[in-house]
Amino acid sequence: MNRIAALGGLIATLGFFFVPVINLKPNRLASGTGFGLLELTGDGRYFVLFALALVPLVLAFRDDLESRGWLLSVSGSALFLLTLILPAQAGVMLLENPEPFLGEGAFIRSPRILPSGGLALGLLGAYVTLFAGGRDLARAGVQSWVRGVTAWAAPAIAALLLVGGQFDVYSILVEFYANGAALQQKFVEHLLFVFISLAVGFVVGVSLGLWASRDERVSPVILYAVGIIQTIPSLALFGVLLVPLARLGDRLFLETLAFFGIAVVVAVVIGGTYYFLADREPARLRFVHLLATAVSAAVPLVLFVGIFVSFVFRLANVGFTSGNYGAASNTVGVFFVLTLVVWLGGRWLLKPDTRARLISTWASLALLAGTLVSTVVLFVQASGSSRILGRVDSLETLTIRDLGVSGIGVAPALIALTLYSLLPLVRNTYAGLNNVDNAIIDSGRGMGMTPTQRFFQIELPLAFPVIMAGVRNAGVALVGIGTVATVIGAGGLGDFVIQGIVNTSIDQILLGAIPAIALALVLDAALRGIEGLLTSPGIKQVQN
Amino acid sequence: MIEFQNVVKRFPDGFTAVKGLDLKVRDGEITVFIGPSGCGKTTSMRMVNRLLSISEGKILVEGRDNRDFPAEELRRKIGYAIQQIGLFPHFTVLDNIAVVPRMLGWDETRIRKRVDELLDLVGLDPDINRDKYPRQLSGGQQQRVGVARALGADPPIMLMDEPFGAIDPITREVLQEEFLQIQEEISKTIIFVTHDIDEAIKMGDRIAILKDGALVQYDTPDTILAHPKDRFVRDFVGADRALKRLGLIRVQDLMDEEVIPKVQIRDDVDKARRVIDEHGVKSAFVVDDENILKGWVDVDGIRHSPRSLTEAMMEADFNEIGVRKGNTAREALSAMVARGFRITPVVDRRGKLVGSITLRALQDLVEQDWGEDEPQPEAS
Repeated sequence: MNRIAALGGLIATLGFFFVPVINLKPNRLASGTGFGLLELTGDGRYFVLFALALVPLVLAFRDDLESRGWLLSVSGSALFLLTLILPAQAGVMLLENPEPFLGEGAFIRSPRILPSGGLALGLLGAYVTLFAGGRDLARAGVQSWVRGVTAWAAPAIAALLLVGGQFDVYSILVEFYANGAALQQKFVEHLLFVFISLAVGFVVGVSLGLWASRDERVSPVILYAVGIIQTIPSLALFGVLLVPLARLGDRLFLETLAFFGIAVVVAVVIGGTYYFLADREPARLRFVHLLATAVSAAVPLVLFVGIFVSFVFRLANVGFTSGNYGAASNTVGVFFVLTLVVWLGGRWLLKPDTRARLISTWASLALLAGTLVSTVVLFVQASGSSRILGRVDSLETLTIRDLGVSGIGVAPALIALTLYSLLPLVRNTYAGLNNVDNAIIDSGRGMGMTPTQRFFQIELPLAFPVIMAGVRNAGVALVGIGTVATVIGAGGLGDFVIQGIVNTSIDQILLGAIPAIALALVLDAALRGIEGLLTSPGIKQVQN
Repeated sequence: MIEFQNVVKRFPDGFTAVKGLDLKVRDGEITVFIGPSGCGKTTSMRMVNRLLSISEGKILVEGRDNRDFPAEELRRKIGYAIQQIGLFPHFTVLDNIAVVPRMLGWDETRIRKRVDELLDLVGLDPDINRDKYPRQLSGGQQQRVGVARALGADPPIMLMDEPFGAIDPITREVLQEEFLQIQEEISKTIIFVTHDIDEAIKMGDRIAILKDGALVQYDTPDTILAHPKDRFVRDFVGADRALKRLGLIRVQDLMDEEVIPKVQIRDDVDKARRVIDEHGVKSAFVVDDENILKGWVDVDGIRHSPRSLTEAMMEADFNEIGVRKGNTAREALSAMVARGFRITPVVDRRGKLVGSITLRALQDLVEQDWGEDEPQPEAS
């Protein structure tokens, strides 16, 4: 007996019996009336859904693995599709004549159909049934790609139906059509601040992790510091950054430049004496000196990175979201995708040390150069826009705020997100590098590898999967935390969520949440893919 | 040649691991460093390729102070194999062996040729193993690759730190034998660190016994077993050192090729009795027309069936009762003890009787070398 299949059938059946599948609302904000499958049964086809939900319960008692697997897969797929389609059709009918259900004289301006709990339970039951069927097929020895196709057939068809407009009646899609352009812009914003803070966090976090793994005196300090940052509630961190960034924004550009120069000189002096005094200092003083070097180097670095990154974000955001630079931003996208395809495809399909592989490597390098050039073109074009620098008369009056740094807006979001990305990045880099077997490093040393060769040929490749796990962790977390950035005016998908909360409109919340979830999943999968391609088969985890 | 000149190693915590080591390692020989834990054997070895710095004194490598070379360059000229093997798990077998050749800038065709050559040398099929990853190999195979990697760029010198330490005893024996055969071919100058005295005796052309950072005795295995310098060495080599010595000597060095008590299978019983009397032994070997060992005949057998030699003799397979020239004297002794013989036949591969070896000869050997200050072993 297949208990999982029985569970799937049970979930769907109970869901259809007791929970409304759709909800008819008189308008976007008002609460509406729920309709269970039983209330829609005026039309005979809804009985089909009940029947389908019961099928897995019956099939679960069959004994033959393979036939049971196939039947479960087919019925699960059918249940999945019909759970989406039939309530949508019912919804269309309800919308044509809503008054009897919403009551005479109700304020009906734009009635909506909201998918409800019963529908979700139906889909869950269908998914569980598909899963149970897939497991049977696996145990019956069916090839994995056949199982893959079987499992993904129904969701793929559903996606096609979605694009074809089959589900347009559902309110979330109504909301989507109403806000399409805004959604695109918020999505790009979200993507940009996640990517930029992840990139900066990557550089900073991996460097800190590297430092921690090299010097056991600083490792507790670094790990403790990034751990503390993680415990600060995101909302508080955004808030804390407001004042200092607002102050910084008020500064004149030239003034800041001078301060930056002085900070660089100070850092060079402290670091230089550290370097030249070598081991002539007492050990305790030397450690203090080392920390002082780090702090003095961090000041100009943070200043530069903070301002530079905010400015880059502004450039990129204007470039990608204003229609004027469509050609350039499309070119960037095309080049980027082509680079990935050629490079990954080459590594995947072509044998190493062959001419073809060499050509594909050079081609991907050329395409990468194209990506960079077109990005520069995009940025140059965008920098001409009035949205970049606002009304600036001369260099003397240029303030940091004109470059994109202010207490409210994207600058605090970028900084806070970068800080949040540090813990997984530092911790994983540290753990990855520290866990490389000493015997391996010793034999590398014994064979005459230089420290640089040891790092790039041994330590980094061996720590790579662990570091990448940290990148994935950080990336997925940033997509989520990024939605909170809306409260300090940073934009992004959180805008829809917060609007939805204010308006008590689930549709709006979903409009922000669904793309955020999708973005997190896609980002995770993409990073996993890159990790898989760049990890030596000799150290990949054995797949079950 | 490697020469330690009054080498001292002090660690930052004040511990002195090596206290004035003076020692010459000869070209083309395996020199074993052995001693209890903390005796400084690994420390001494690691100073040769400067994995550890030298506090005082110097180490000459091929006549030059090893600090005259840049450390990396020095290490690339010295093969290095360690107990934990330390293969790079993310590199294929080929890439692992190619590490040093690649750093030396060899071209890929030459590297491929060299890798295949080395895999053949260590007994791994290149076509099957070249593109495997370390985790796809057994422990013994990994250690073979480890040795091949140490030999990668054909370095004149090799440092081996308990290279067979982490392997099961049976595979270890096989690898030791194989490595000795490889060394016959390549004649590297090798420093071999171990804490296993049996391994030292088996592998070493010379053994340096260290204690508390100082050299106690530096000699051939045979001399160390015959004349341990002091109580520490005597205890260290163990109470069975007489047996261990026998393990170093081959049957071919002790066997008698002329005086063999043997009879033809077609001879009569009288002939057998005569042969036994002449040689003053209890039994004679029986061979066929082609001098192949067929069994033996003893006094008891003759008494029971005085008519026919074929009835009086004990038939036996030559592999069962004979030893080979290449066997050790220890194995010959074991064969004698097992069967209660005072004499054992020596046969060749096909079973031809080529000589004999007596218990007397083994005893004489042990006695003649035994130092006068030594108590005699209990005579049996």
